[in-house]
Amino acid sequence: MAPLRRRDLWRMAFRAALLQATFNYERQQGIGWAWALEPALARFYPDPALRRERLAEHTAYFNTQPTLASLALGAVARLEERRAAGEGPDAEAIARVKSVLGSSAAALGDPLFWFTLRPFAAGLGVLLAPAGPVQGALALWLCYNIVHLGVRMLGVGWGYRLGPAVLGDPLRHRLTLLTRWLGVLGAGLTGVIVATMLVPGGVPRPIVFQVCLLAGLGVGLVGAQRGRPSPTEWALGVGALCLLSTVFH
Amino acid sequence: MNLAVLGSVLLGGLAALDAVPLGQTMLSQPLVTATLVGLLWVDWHTAIEVGVVLQLIAASTLPVGARTPEDYASGGVIGASVALALATQQPYALAREASALLGSLAGLASAVAGVPLIRWQRRRNEGLSRWCEAELRRGQGGALAAAQWAGVAFAFAVGVAVTSVGLALGVWALGPLVAHESLRLSRAWTLAQPLWIGLGLAQVMNAFFQRRLARAAVFGFALIGAWLVLIVGGR
Repeated sequence: MAPLRRRDLWRMAFRAALLQATFNYERQQGIGWAWALEPALARFYPDPALRRERLAEHTAYFNTQPTLASLALGAVARLEERRAAGEGPDAEAIARVKSVLGSSAAALGDPLFWFTLRPFAAGLGVLLAPAGPVQGALALWLCYNIVHLGVRMLGVGWGYRLGPAVLGDPLRHRLTLLTRWLGVLGAGLTGVIVATMLVPGGVPRPIVFQVCLLAGLGVGLVGAQRGRPSPTEWALGVGALCLLSTVFH
Repeated sequence: MNLAVLGSVLLGGLAALDAVPLGQTMLSQPLVTATLVGLLWVDWHTAIEVGVVLQLIAASTLPVGARTPEDYASGGVIGASVALALATQQPYALAREASALLGSLAGLASAVAGVPLIRWQRRRNEGLSRWCEAELRRGQGGALAAAQWAGVAFAFAVGVAVTSVGLALGVWALGPLVAHESLRLSRAWTLAQPLWIGLGLAQVMNAFFQRRLARAAVFGFALIGAWLVLIVGGR
């Protein structure tokens, strides 16, 4: 049986962008996963009936961090290749490996992409926003997507080359290190943002602005220790209070 | 103005797509959408003021686990579009600040109101995924592609509809307020803007610090260093 070609891996990577197109509470990314895996299954199973059967199996529940899903896709494509050649795991074993890969990718991807890179990119964007009409948005978008699109596009190939071992210790170590250093850089970046908010261009803001900013920081830090109210609910409450205060002014 | 409205509504659909169904490239983040809305309405200053506020509060709104996050994809577009639509109706500079305040509030309210809609969309997708598996087992190989594109079209349509309704409602309900109360509202903006920025920055700080003293120290050094550079460099 012919292995996957570079073209198949690219098709899978592009299809991974639609991993959550039919995201739902029952199967979460299941349909998107099967859709992304289809080019590999088309290569391994020339018989359409058998291919459809395999695809139907892959529509079952699956959920992980969407960027690192590319690695899991490549790894499962490697397993399906072995299964089609008659030397590999059965449907149950593949489902188990999928579940483990999904959990591992989420455990690595959530802290990196959602808890660190996204706030970091947002902070960079906010810092550069006053510099011009598009600088902030561009910085945010590029900062996030250099990592996100890079891993999404190349991840399928890495996963296919290494199989389920792709999410093993070496990658885990590298991603954990990246998350840690991005967190440290992010803490520094937040300090710079607060300073530029207080004295933009070396000219201190009015005292009302500075006091309100510090009050917001204080309330936000206390509020962040609890799940409820959410930051958006806090912000709505604060906005309503400000409106009320001017009514009675 | 009509082109700007049309562009904003379409951008609402694209942002709704990027948020979950297609790509997740952060095109749906409020700072990015507000910048694009600002380019459409040719007033990037007001757009970015709203975008920065919404972005900082949205930065800690995470699509993790079973939690359905607030809909900042539509909220960002609606907030910036409402602010700019209101600002273009008034000739005074004060009205821009009043519009920024009401736009930010409209964006926050839309983000919260969008949560039940997202849940509804996901429940509708459950039926689609069951149909897809049944069709596959029945021998219809094209069912996967059909389900995927139906999901994309559905999300785009919901995004466009929500943005249209939010923009229309916002301009209709808040327009008279800006026309008659712009002085009071601009005072409220001078209080609300720093409070919102502080609230958002606190969430971002919390995400980075994770109760580690060393990171708090890095924050402190960066704050003092940047402050000194700005004060000394500014003179």
